[in-house]
Amino acid sequence: MAQKIVWDRYIRLFHWGLVATIAGAAVTGFLMGAEALLIHIVTGTLAVILVTSRIVWGFLGGTYARFSSFTPRPRDVLAHLRGGGVRHLGHNPLGALMVLALLATILGIGLSGLAVLGGTLKTGPLSGLSFELGRTLREGHELLATGLLVLIGLHLGGVIFESLRSRENLARAMVTGRKPSRSGDHPDAPRKAHPRAALALGAALVLGLGGLAIAATNRPVPGAPVAEWDALTQDECSACHMTYHPSLLPRTNWRALMAGLDDHFGEDASLPADATGQITDWLEAHAAETADTLPAHRLGLGVDESTLRLTETRFWKRTHRDIPDATFTRKPVLSRANCRACHADAETGWFSPFQISIPKETLQ
Amino acid sequence: MKPLILCLAALAATPALAGDTTPEALIATYSAEAGQPADPARGEALFLAETGGGKPDTPSCTTCHTADPTRAGQARTGKAIEPLAPRANPARFTDTAHVEKWFGRNCNSVLGRDCTAAEKSDIITWLTGL
Repeated sequence: MAQKIVWDRYIRLFHWGLVATIAGAAVTGFLMGAEALLIHIVTGTLAVILVTSRIVWGFLGGTYARFSSFTPRPRDVLAHLRGGGVRHLGHNPLGALMVLALLATILGIGLSGLAVLGGTLKTGPLSGLSFELGRTLREGHELLATGLLVLIGLHLGGVIFESLRSRENLARAMVTGRKPSRSGDHPDAPRKAHPRAALALGAALVLGLGGLAIAATNRPVPGAPVAEWDALTQDECSACHMTYHPSLLPRTNWRALMAGLDDHFGEDASLPADATGQITDWLEAHAAETADTLPAHRLGLGVDESTLRLTETRFWKRTHRDIPDATFTRKPVLSRANCRACHADAETGWFSPFQISIPKETLQ
Repeated sequence: MKPLILCLAALAATPALAGDTTPEALIATYSAEAGQPADPARGEALFLAETGGGKPDTPSCTTCHTADPTRAGQARTGKAIEPLAPRANPARFTDTAHVEKWFGRNCNSVLGRDCTAAEKSDIITWLTGL
């Protein structure tokens, strides 16, 4: 039996590269939290770049790589399902549908992920999207990702089933690239590969889209929390604690907080009436209602009217549940209210997941 | 009494930490208002005491300033407080409005009432001698 190179070097590299990047994105996305978000974004982006290059190769690659050679007609699929299909050296009709479904799903996950990153974290090329849209698309992102796991399961099942049916090790063929050519195999019209053109087009696509993404990333973000602090507010509030950004509480809560300065979380923090008035006005002008950030929505607008302590909100408790009590009470954090001990950007109101670093306990 | 009020009124218009006074001048002003000389021992006793008249989270000055005012203290929020003793922190007791604001707040938090002029002069005298 003549051995034939069915899966070229690029296809094999693509396949196993996709296995690695999707595994990384799935583990970080399904099982881990903010600490793994950067790895999630990097592996997910690499997977999308791989899929983009595969699409280029689907038009410029050799016989078995081309979409035109394996995209099945409905009757081919039906014939294959009835069990009457001949052996395919390349993708059989069902396998081909799976390839197309996997590629489309991964692109959909990548796009929706970019939208989630843009809307909820105001990061990346889609940072102009609203928080609400980002939250909604997050459901789609998760749904598609769960769907991808199902597809991968079916793909593995298909590989095992077809390996048994055609008495060959299809998984090994994806490593060596070789399959024995048999009489009666489905005939495929030979197509010439154009690796240079594919490389040029792939590089142009990745660089072009990447450049667009970077340009879009560097636009100003709508709904950003106020960056310029009122000097009096900053001075007075920072006298005893870090400056809590006005976007962390809604207007009514700031008003209530400023009306009770004589018993401010257990201490007298009273101020002259004119200073209280100026600070209250500034806090209300930049309260949670004015920002479209995740903390403004989940902390600020998520609290009920009587809550003044952010650490008593359900969102705060849920996002900090894995952190041991001692971390909060020991040096250098000392208090749950000391957000900036771990969130380097706490005083900006952003609370980016990329700015978290829990300090090691110190003795002095 | 009148010169003090005039003095405070003039100072209220100056920015914070303007350096408009000295610990000695404040002791003199508060002692004069109290009509009795300052006593550092009374100041120390008040500073270290747990009077129980104030808010439950702040039973004593030492809750935040610690029993050694030549070293930095710690607010309940985790924020450091510069030492109170002027020898360790020369900026202390050099701004009348600042001193009045924090006596006002902290006496209420710890004692549940304003400090008297005598108590203020006692405490500043004790801190200045450290």
